[in-house]
Amino acid sequence: MKRDLDRTVDRIVVEVPVADSSQHRVEPRLFEQLDGLRAAQRARRVAPDRGARLPGWAWGVAGAMALAIALLIVHRTGEHATSAAPSLVVTPAGGSSRFTIDDAVIEAGSDTSVEVATDAAGGITLSLARGSIDCDVAPRHGRPFHVIAGDVTVEVVGTRFTVVRRPEVQVDVAHGKVRVRANGRDAFVAAGERWPAVATAAVAPVPAPDESPAAPTVPAQRPEPPVTDQPRNSPTPASSRDAFVAAQRLEAHAWPQAARAYRTIARGGDRWAALALYSLAELDAAHDHAADALAVLDEYQRRFPKGASAEDAAWLRVEVLRTLGRTGDARAAAAAYLERFPSGTYVTPASRLAPP
Amino acid sequence: MGLRVVDSSPATEADLIAACVRGERDAERELFRREYRHVHALLFRILGSPRDLEDLAQEVFIGVFQALPRFRGDAKLRTWIDRIAVHTALDHITARKRIPIPVETISDRPDPSGPADDRAHAREGLRRLYGVLATFKPEARIAFALYAIDGRSIADVAAITGVTALTAKLRIWRARREVERRLEHDPILASYIAQHRGPR
Repeated sequence: MKRDLDRTVDRIVVEVPVADSSQHRVEPRLFEQLDGLRAAQRARRVAPDRGARLPGWAWGVAGAMALAIALLIVHRTGEHATSAAPSLVVTPAGGSSRFTIDDAVIEAGSDTSVEVATDAAGGITLSLARGSIDCDVAPRHGRPFHVIAGDVTVEVVGTRFTVVRRPEVQVDVAHGKVRVRANGRDAFVAAGERWPAVATAAVAPVPAPDESPAAPTVPAQRPEPPVTDQPRNSPTPASSRDAFVAAQRLEAHAWPQAARAYRTIARGGDRWAALALYSLAELDAAHDHAADALAVLDEYQRRFPKGASAEDAAWLRVEVLRTLGRTGDARAAAAAYLERFPSGTYVTPASRLAPP
Repeated sequence: MGLRVVDSSPATEADLIAACVRGERDAERELFRREYRHVHALLFRILGSPRDLEDLAQEVFIGVFQALPRFRGDAKLRTWIDRIAVHTALDHITARKRIPIPVETISDRPDPSGPADDRAHAREGLRRLYGVLATFKPEARIAFALYAIDGRSIADVAAITGVTALTAKLRIWRARREVERRLEHDPILASYIAQHRGPR
């Protein structure tokens, strides 16, 4: 049943209306706007209005425009520019500003002042004087991306994270992993973790390993949820399905609890137990507990070889093995996937890994 | 005298980009006309049919022309434009995420009485689909729309959204699971998806 529904929503055809008339409407507006922007940028370069007094609300706009102008100057000087003068983005209280640098998307929160600097090697440095920035950074491929907040430096590999300075510095990582350097010490902060760790937090920052930050690191054990976070007098779910739905709801904000709930459901033998076991593997994989995920996938394969998620589990095994750096095993798992699911969802990437 | 075919094909992509970077308007127009339908369709599939779709498409091309000097050529131009379009869509979703999606009151039973009713239910099914997507986290919504509606591979979704294939896959899977859950309680949406199932 589950597999049928999954297939039903796999691909959906949405008819897109013809865009010809839309194109004719947009084209003149686009180039009019482009001309206006370029004229404004030329004017600002000739006569920068450094001494102007702006009302508070205008600082956000001015900061964003300053950034745009600085980036444009970098563009105009070509790929071999040595470096760009830093640009300042300032947002007023209650305001925010979103801007992009290369593939990174930065959202400056309320009452924020952040200076943006680029260098000849393609490196980017954001210096956060106050406020908060939310950074979504694609893999940098060797080009450094740093956020400096006072004495704290956050080095990015490719991730999404938030840095807050009000005035204490706090780093929250949504995806991927960053290295935080403070007081001469390094700490790696992974997805779902916060720096500095609070005493009651479920997850402490991972100590800096010897290998490079890009190498996959696997915490030895899934963190146990703090007992105090358990709701008191919570009603026992009426069925496996209810329990599963309740576990799903925990995923976003309390994943260790969700993992424990899935484990409890997985003790059964029905389809919800199978689904819970697969969800547990997913959850571990999504939170960089690849070794745990692999162990759960082994269990799934042993207990539910024909389960509704068997195909997804077989492919997740490939992904997890790659994450662990076990390339040979990943290829073997891809070959096993192709043999078992010759017309499966992941045939194309599996074939790339394990060509016939 | 034999017919001589003169190669009138447009300039190579690299030439076109170089001309756009120099600010040559003809080249900019050519790039816009080449890519507009693609961008329009991509935004439509991600966002449904927002009233300001044309404004968003315009915003995408402003971003394209402003950032083109930084285009390194390490991805296809179209993939690079896709990334800008996806970021624009993400901004749009984030800015509007607290605005409720209006849902028309309509019977939950598909009425087989005629084509007009079919069209009405198809429109309603589409509206409900995007109503469901509007409840997702923006990143999950984008990943699911790129994969399930725009027909991208998981690898493409990962490349466009700048995440690993595993992350893209998990986002898609979770979104798909949620759509599946909604289907159980929404016959019109279930009917719409059953009738608009695409090739895998």
